[in-house]
Amino acid sequence: MNVTDMKIGDQAIIKRVRAQEPVKSRLFAMGIAKGNRIKLLDHTLKKQTWEVEVDGTRVALRDEEAKGIEVEP
Amino acid sequence: MKKIKAVMVGQPNVGKSSIINAISGARLHVGNFAGVTVEKKEVEVKKDGWDIQIVDLPGIYSLNAYTPEEHVAKRYLLFEDYDVIINVVDANVLQRNLVFTLQLLDMRKPTILVVNMIDEVEEKGGSIDREKLSELLGVPVILTSAKERRGVDEILDRLIQIHGQKRCGCKIYYNEKIEEEIERLSKILLKSPHFTDYDQARFYVIRLLEKDEDIYKIVHDLPIFLELHEALGESMRRLCLEFDAEDVRDIFADERNALARSIVMQVMVLPQKETLTDKIDKVLIHPVFGLPIFLFFMWALFQITFEVGSIPMEYIDETITNFAAWLRGILPPGDFSSAITDGVIPAVGAILMFLPNILILFLGINLLEQTGYMARAAFLLDGFLKKFGLQGKAFIPLVSGFGCTVPAYMAARTLKNPKDRLITMLILGFMNCSARLPVYVLLIAAFFPTHNAGNVLFAIYIGGALLGLLVAKVLRMLLFKGEPEPFVMEMPPYRFPSLKALGMELWIKAKIFIKKAGTFIASAAMIIWFLSSYPKNEALVQSYQQRIEHAAPQERKELQNELQARLLEQSYLGQIGKAIEPVFSPLGFDWRLSVATLSGLAAKEIIVSTLATLYAVGEADEHSTTLISKLRENIDFKTAVALIVIIMIYSPCVAAMSTFYAEIPQWAWRAFYTIYPNVLAWILAFGVYNLLKFLGY
Repeated sequence: MNVTDMKIGDQAIIKRVRAQEPVKSRLFAMGIAKGNRIKLLDHTLKKQTWEVEVDGTRVALRDEEAKGIEVEP
Repeated sequence: MKKIKAVMVGQPNVGKSSIINAISGARLHVGNFAGVTVEKKEVEVKKDGWDIQIVDLPGIYSLNAYTPEEHVAKRYLLFEDYDVIINVVDANVLQRNLVFTLQLLDMRKPTILVVNMIDEVEEKGGSIDREKLSELLGVPVILTSAKERRGVDEILDRLIQIHGQKRCGCKIYYNEKIEEEIERLSKILLKSPHFTDYDQARFYVIRLLEKDEDIYKIVHDLPIFLELHEALGESMRRLCLEFDAEDVRDIFADERNALARSIVMQVMVLPQKETLTDKIDKVLIHPVFGLPIFLFFMWALFQITFEVGSIPMEYIDETITNFAAWLRGILPPGDFSSAITDGVIPAVGAILMFLPNILILFLGINLLEQTGYMARAAFLLDGFLKKFGLQGKAFIPLVSGFGCTVPAYMAARTLKNPKDRLITMLILGFMNCSARLPVYVLLIAAFFPTHNAGNVLFAIYIGGALLGLLVAKVLRMLLFKGEPEPFVMEMPPYRFPSLKALGMELWIKAKIFIKKAGTFIASAAMIIWFLSSYPKNEALVQSYQQRIEHAAPQERKELQNELQARLLEQSYLGQIGKAIEPVFSPLGFDWRLSVATLSGLAAKEIIVSTLATLYAVGEADEHSTTLISKLRENIDFKTAVALIVIIMIYSPCVAAMSTFYAEIPQWAWRAFYTIYPNVLAWILAFGVYNLLKFLGY
């Protein structure tokens, strides 16, 4: 499953991050990397924008990026 | 005196500026990094007989630089000369910050780790073992809180202590498989006489493995390049195979992430879950109420900007007019006096008048940014703006554009992605600025029934905004085709803004604005003044003066106006108007409208006064009934509508254009920006003109 399958408030461990450079480096820099714990905080009404928390950092993502983050509960 | 030079570097939002502000006895200098519009802050401070200089680099997430600011910071770190790196990290998000610290430590330069905002962690029951962290990383660690001024002055002591060292005592090594490859490649690099330092070779090899283009360019010219290139490819293949990865960059990222996680586990007692930001976010980015709350904030900001900002405007205007009059009194009459008092001072004054607006707007935007709300606004709006190829944060400059395009271009700096920023700036001109209002009011009063005036004005504003969004969409599809538009943004926790930092930012912005707009505007105003005042036709002036003297008092004013009109017609500006008349004649414009359109490039309000001069009614404002009736006599309805369309779309005033040029250094984009709105304006005006003609107006 990936981040877009999570429910608000859910937590999971990141298994894999699929993205193109330079987005990938950006995600890493924000702490979205393999093995880190991720929590889904919020999404907009139409689920176009997502807010997650990784080790204390809150990050806003678009649908495309959120779909590329594979997680495991 | 002996000198120490240090660079301060850290990820965005770690509180570097507040540390800089908290250093006692420091003198702050603000400038730009060479060749780019990225702010460079420097402090100088004297301590124990040392002259210490600290350069504050822009916030940078990683050495794999992404935004222009990050490239500036990275190149400074890699290629400039300095003694010590001061790496500031946020104690609240230590792990993420340490990933970048590990990248910095690859350089093996003398480094101090400053763990800031320690008070926030301790308040929530967490703690960090400073000794242990220092031992694991091999560099001095200082726990600071800029808010409580805790630990800040120790930074200077440490700086003096370690600045003479050649390298840091860092003991961080990667997985042995990785180190093996690094060792192998370093040996090749060290064969080149340019490299004698093993640490530097090791660092360059790591950067090469991470596909760093800046470093690649350097080694590309070395004689050992072919050998190195081949070995590099093999190492990458071996590592990818060994770690089952697609890209060596991923291996390093995972490696550093794992290292950082284990360090945090060893040195930090994690705080209890933070709740304040959670609570505020539940309201402010609520799926349903978030947007209305945001719209209210925006409405309030623009109300304050233009209501409060307009209070000092009159005083500034008055002061400048008086100053010009006073100067006219003491300067010897002639061309020089005229150039200064009629050309430069009113033009520079027109810009200074916007200073209160701009400062209030910037204060508001800064406040939104420092409290952390800006990121939420972008979060809320990204979905809508994405449809047009724009980004959530573009909202702020777009709305500022309705006030004045100049601060809007500067507000676009909040967009960190260069492409997003460029597209946003290219369409900002379509947001009708307040200077165009008088022109619209005049034309609407002259050519539309009174009961429809409000609707027409509304249509003009909405039409401009919609056109802007459409153009953004087209630009994204045609010019930035297929390129990714990532939106990965940190949502910083809510914080109370520091008043000192706010004041400092405002002061810096004001200085930059006055300097830039002042120099550009002053020279542009000279040109316009020159074009409209020369060549002088003394014979014409004299013949009119004789007629005026003999004329009846009620006719004098009329003759005076006629003289002005004829002088303007003969001036270079008039000649240019006649020369470009063929361009505008398909829209029904005569040379007067052509000149008025051109003069609008100096400032949009000038269109009104130029029309007044050209149709010989003398001093006039947009409510002048003589001007309205003169316009009705001379212009037909479809031409007036075409003129409105032109004003909506064509290039903004020179002040705005200068700001754009100052912000965007690429000549190709400057040229595109200068040409396309005018072409688009002409085409649309031509279409509207002929449509109305077809409909029988």
